Amino acid sequence: MNSYKRTFSLDIPTKPSLVSSPSLEGFRRRNSLTEFGQRFNDHLPSFQSEELRADLENGCTDSTKKVGWPNSKDDYVLAEVIGVGATAVVHSAFCKPRNEKCAIKRINLEKWNTSMEELLKEIQAMSSCHHENVVTYFTSFVVGEELWLILRLLSGGSLLDIIKHRMKATDCRHGVFDEATIATVLREVLKGLEYFHNNGQIHRDIKAGNILLGEDGTIQIADFGVSSWLATGGDLSRQKSRHTFVGTPCWMAPEVMEQVTGYDFKADIWSLGITAIELATGTAPYHRYPPMKVLLLTLQNDPPCLETGTEERDQYRAYGKSFRKLIVDCLQKDPTKRPTATELLKHPFLKKAKDRRYLVQTLIAQAPSLEARSQKARSYRKAPGASGRLHRTEAGDWIWSSDSEDEAHSNDDSDDEGQSEKPPNPLIQKELSQQQQSDSRASDTHLSGSSTSSCASAISEHEDAGHRPLPAAPPFAPDPLTTQSQAALVGELDPINLVLRMRNAKRELNDIRFEFSVGRDSADGIASELVAAGLVDGRDLVVIAANLQKILDGLPITTSVTFGLSSGCVGNEVPDDRTLVGFAQLSIAE
Amino acid sequence: MIKMPLFGKSQKSPAEVVKALKEAMLSLEKGDKKVEKAQEDVSKNLLLIKNMLYGTSDSEPQTDIVVAQLSQELYNSGLLVHLIQHLSRVDFEGKKDVAQIFNNILRRQIGTRSPTVEYICTRPEILFTLVQGYEHQDIALNCGTMLRECARYEALAKILLYSEDFYNFFKFVEVSTFDIASDAFSTFKELLTKHKILCAEFLEANYDKVFAHYQGLLNSENYVTRRQSLKLLGELLLDRHNFTVMTRYISNPDNLKLMMNMLKEKSRNIQFEAFHVFKVFVANPNKPKPILDILLRNQEKLVEFLTKFHTDRSEDEQFNDEKAYLIKQIKELRPPEN
Repeated sequence: MNSYKRTFSLDIPTKPSLVSSPSLEGFRRRNSLTEFGQRFNDHLPSFQSEELRADLENGCTDSTKKVGWPNSKDDYVLAEVIGVGATAVVHSAFCKPRNEKCAIKRINLEKWNTSMEELLKEIQAMSSCHHENVVTYFTSFVVGEELWLILRLLSGGSLLDIIKHRMKATDCRHGVFDEATIATVLREVLKGLEYFHNNGQIHRDIKAGNILLGEDGTIQIADFGVSSWLATGGDLSRQKSRHTFVGTPCWMAPEVMEQVTGYDFKADIWSLGITAIELATGTAPYHRYPPMKVLLLTLQNDPPCLETGTEERDQYRAYGKSFRKLIVDCLQKDPTKRPTATELLKHPFLKKAKDRRYLVQTLIAQAPSLEARSQKARSYRKAPGASGRLHRTEAGDWIWSSDSEDEAHSNDDSDDEGQSEKPPNPLIQKELSQQQQSDSRASDTHLSGSSTSSCASAISEHEDAGHRPLPAAPPFAPDPLTTQSQAALVGELDPINLVLRMRNAKRELNDIRFEFSVGRDSADGIASELVAAGLVDGRDLVVIAANLQKILDGLPITTSVTFGLSSGCVGNEVPDDRTLVGFAQLSIAE
Repeated sequence: MIKMPLFGKSQKSPAEVVKALKEAMLSLEKGDKKVEKAQEDVSKNLLLIKNMLYGTSDSEPQTDIVVAQLSQELYNSGLLVHLIQHLSRVDFEGKKDVAQIFNNILRRQIGTRSPTVEYICTRPEILFTLVQGYEHQDIALNCGTMLRECARYEALAKILLYSEDFYNFFKFVEVSTFDIASDAFSTFKELLTKHKILCAEFLEANYDKVFAHYQGLLNSENYVTRRQSLKLLGELLLDRHNFTVMTRYISNPDNLKLMMNMLKEKSRNIQFEAFHVFKVFVANPNKPKPILDILLRNQEKLVEFLTKFHTDRSEDEQFNDEKAYLIKQIKELRPPEN
């Protein structure tokens, strides 16, 4: 038995146009506008001038001058990085002409592979909302190859941040938040959703990680990354439902997963029900499972409840009937039976809701300390590959460099909220990265990182970096030199990175990445793990184990093998080893 | 803000609502003391009209007869024009309601006729007012929504294309606020691509003027403008309806030089879009001499450049086939006999 859990990651190596086919897009989320909740650290960056600091301390609510939000980068001072994603980075910032704080989301348009039209739709979705419970958009403009979105800064962070902090700091075995807090949060979210839905929009990714908290207890729904116009262009009559697969699997409604009937506003109500569970237990039900398994469980099982997946029977008995009723109402598999946001606002449970000040007491007062948050921000910035364009200056500051020649790593889904919600040792880290592309550079860190360390420390390092993106495979065969050095490293028990490329149940090409430690792992052991994780058909266990052994024995000469699968083809497919229909390919990843 | 008591069973007739809205608009336009009250009345009545057209969660949309009456009242009272001319004065939610009402009655059909389209043809100032809306931050996107709906109708698209106002789009697509610029770009694109034959005729008839302006977009300081306009150029040239326009475009050596420079831009996305325009020059079986001269002068460099160009796009078969074809074509280029 292995003493540690293996990390598998999954990529779809197809071109973007293929990736946009429905099935797995939901897990990708790479191009979403807001891949993370905003986190804010109150202290100002050291590089700020004293003068500016004085300005800030004098307060930001000078209402005598009403300057619009400027469209020039020079009018803003960037401060802390409060979030980093694959295509964007979010800063807290200060707008000089307005004398006011804000958040700036910088989207790297070169890395934005979806069409500009999609981007525009998302920004329009934001700018067509004026509601206290929906994240406030001020303006946006182009800076070089980046798009800067100027947003309201919510300094409390996301509710997920607060949940995670509280679970660390206190015993939450019997629940994270009290009913009044949950009711207050849900009421605010529902008001935002009601507005959203009346506006003809579906959010599609309601979860604690996308609910932000302001210093004054304001609750806002963020992340329009996947929100869409149910009715295009505000035309409420043209299109009544959507057929795209987006969202985060744990929070996703069954009809969204099924992809058969299309879905509507009610998908958000399901996600709200899951969020209600999350606010009580700290996690979404099924959070322990890989995405594919989540899909199966959601579709096959009865709807989840507070007790789903709990260890003790009475663990959550502190939560009363009306709360449980609300969860049951939201989590009905038949969307037409779920209440609307407007109806839910009248739900008996919401009578327990209090006002904003209550949230200031229960959430803000107990929010992560300043140190903890800045610590966290640091760790975000340190995450290797979290952004290929974050560099450390000589002064030790981490900066976002937009004119770097470096192509950023395209396989770094890291720091999506979804990831941080996973258990500490995820069996599977699923990254459906958009393009497999050429980002072999990332592999350097991987190889050299542990070459000098002992086996144990190398392993623990990989554990720590549980969410660290693994390098993508190069499009061409690795050059012999590197392979040799890799083989040499094998002697020092450095794990070998492998990629198994094969088609999933939806017949799309996936790359499953995993490590193999010589002397520690066995070919059939790994093959069983792949099957257990639901990534591979049980019928292919033996053939995968055999070929894994073959490639290991053949190193460094053999770096790739293609073989027929026992599970064969589906429907009227014709086996083809070139397009990997009925075949799989196993290669050493560089 | 949604005002609950106004939902559902309004007993007001279309004529009454339109009259009430018109009065409220007039008082809002005057800007007298009761502005707030007027604005409230405007929003209230807009919501009533919207609910007649779209229904609410509790009520179905009104019957065709009511909708017909409503439309007729909107034309006859001149309210549609008023609403658009004074859109800035309407509150945030009211502006969105105006756009939805406008788009709904625009789509209304009787048999094959579209009465609202016919009405706007007689009042083209509606279209020009909408275009000017792009100059005002607070209404730009609402106007854009309505304009794109108009652009779906050939008669209205034609008025817009052949007006002097069309050339304002070259300015709007470059404004600094990204959402407005991109909204203007999508309207611009809709106008130039939606009605194939109309668009081709327009581009042929106004080739010099349009492409002189277009050049400005391709040379823009703004990365997004450059990238978007280059992509649209590729789409326009490769559309078979625009064959004449394409032939003309690829006969001009300045255009070829521009594309060769764009192939070398720092941005990979721009390089890639430039490739799709550049290929048309090379694939032209009847290359004019100036074009051939440039290609010949750069023959070796181009082959070398293209061989190394975006080699990581190994998944994109079509791109690789096209690239291989271009390399072959360029290699085989020979100076003309004489």
